[in-house]
Amino acid sequence: MLNCFILKNHFSFSRTFVMTASFIGFISFSTYAQYPGYTSVNDIGVFKKQFAAESGKVMSITCDFSQEKTLTALAEKITSVGKFWFRRSNKLRLEYTKPFIYLIIMNGDKMLVRDNQKENRINVKSSKLFQQVNRIMIDCVQGNILDSKDFTTRVFESGTTFLLEMTPVSKTLHEFFQTIVLTVDRKDYSAKSIAMNEPMGDITLIKFEHKKLNEPIPDTVFTP
Amino acid sequence: MNRFLIRYLLLSPCVLLLSCTSAYRSLRPASVDTACVSKMTPRSITTSWYQASIDIANKHLSGLVLIKNMPDSSQRVVFTSEAGVTFFDFGFKRPEKFNVHSIIKKLDRKAVIKTLQKDFELLLGVPFSRYGLQSWRTQEENFFGVTQKKETAYFITDKDCGSLRRLERGTKRKRKVSIQIMGRGYPLPDTLNITHHTFPFQIRLTRFQKNDSSQ
Repeated sequence: MLNCFILKNHFSFSRTFVMTASFIGFISFSTYAQYPGYTSVNDIGVFKKQFAAESGKVMSITCDFSQEKTLTALAEKITSVGKFWFRRSNKLRLEYTKPFIYLIIMNGDKMLVRDNQKENRINVKSSKLFQQVNRIMIDCVQGNILDSKDFTTRVFESGTTFLLEMTPVSKTLHEFFQTIVLTVDRKDYSAKSIAMNEPMGDITLIKFEHKKLNEPIPDTVFTP
Repeated sequence: MNRFLIRYLLLSPCVLLLSCTSAYRSLRPASVDTACVSKMTPRSITTSWYQASIDIANKHLSGLVLIKNMPDSSQRVVFTSEAGVTFFDFGFKRPEKFNVHSIIKKLDRKAVIKTLQKDFELLLGVPFSRYGLQSWRTQEENFFGVTQKKETAYFITDKDCGSLRRLERGTKRKRKVSIQIMGRGYPLPDTLNITHHTFPFQIRLTRFQKNDSSQ
C-alpha cells in the first residue's frame, strides 16, 4: 500500500515534472519561433536611451505606406496605400489614396478626419480615446513609446532591425489589440513597420517606404 | 406669439392625422408575377468591399464593410475601421441563422445588434428566400413582400418590372427602413443607401475595387 502510494506519487511527480518542463520548453520555443531571426535585447535601458536620442534627431518624416489587413477567419486580405507626414513635435498626416480615400490630420489638440462623404473636426481634449490614440501614434514616431504607460514592451534585435513587442495594459486598448509590433531600422531608428494583432487573430501590417527624413514640410500639410 | 400658437394648435391635429396615415395605404393586392420575381429578387451580393459612411443622431463615423460569400453558402458581413480594427463580424445563413462572430464592447448591445442584423438581412435579400411571397401594386410600382412577425420586407420594382428600385421593411402602418440602390444593381450594387425612418440613422455603402489579387 505504502509502496503503491510512493510509486503513485513518484509517477505523479515525474509526470508533473515532465509536463512542466515541456510546457516551459514550449513557451521558450514559441517565444523564439514568434520572431524568427531575432534575439532578445537584455539591456533595455541602453536601447531606450539610444532609441530616444536617435529618434530625437528626426525632425520630420515624409514617406509612402502600404497597409495590409488580413481577416484570418475569412482568408481575406485588403491592401491600401497612401502617404504619411510627420513633423516634430505633434503634427501628423495619414492619407489613404487607394483603393479608398481617407485622411487623418493631427495637429496638437486638433484633429481632422475626412472620408469620402464628410469631414469631422475633433478636439482631441474632448475624448480620452482620441487622446490615447494621438499619444500612441506620436510616441511611436518620436521614440518615446518605451516610456508609455499604455504598454508593457519587450525588445528584440536582428542585424538590421529592432523589434518592439508592445502589449496593452489598459482594458480599453486590450479589447482592440493583443499586441502591437513595431520594427525600427537600426540605421536611423526610424519606424519600418507596425503590425497590429487583434484578439480574434486579424492582423493589420503597415509598412513605411521611401522615407525622407528631416526635409522641410509646409504648415499647410498639417492644417486641419 | 399668440398667432403662432393658434396656428400650431390648428395644424397639429392635421400633422397627427398625417403621421397616422399608413405608408402602404395605396398598395392594392396583385397576383405574383413569377417572371418578374425570378428576374428581380435580390438574392445575394457578390463578395465585395464597400466604404461605409454612417450618420447616427448627428454623429458621423466611417469604415469599410466586407460582404463575403463563404464556401458553406453562408455570408459574412465585417465592419472595420479604415486603419484596420475590426468592429464587428456577423454571419448569415439562410433562411434564419444569424451569428455574431465578434463585436466590440461599445456596440455589443441587443438593440444595436438586432437593428444591424435586420438591415443587413434585408440588404442580402435574406427575407425573400422565405416562403409566402405576396404582391401588391401602385400606379407606379410593383411591391413584392414577405411578412414575418408583424413586419414585411419588400423589394420594389418599377411598373414594367424593368428595374429594382429599392428595398423596404415596415409594419402595416409604418415604413421603418428603406434601401436605395444606385448605379449597378444586384448582385453587385455600386451604392446602397440604408435609411431608417423612425430614428436618425443612415448607412451609405459605396463599393470599391480591391487593388491586390488576393481573395
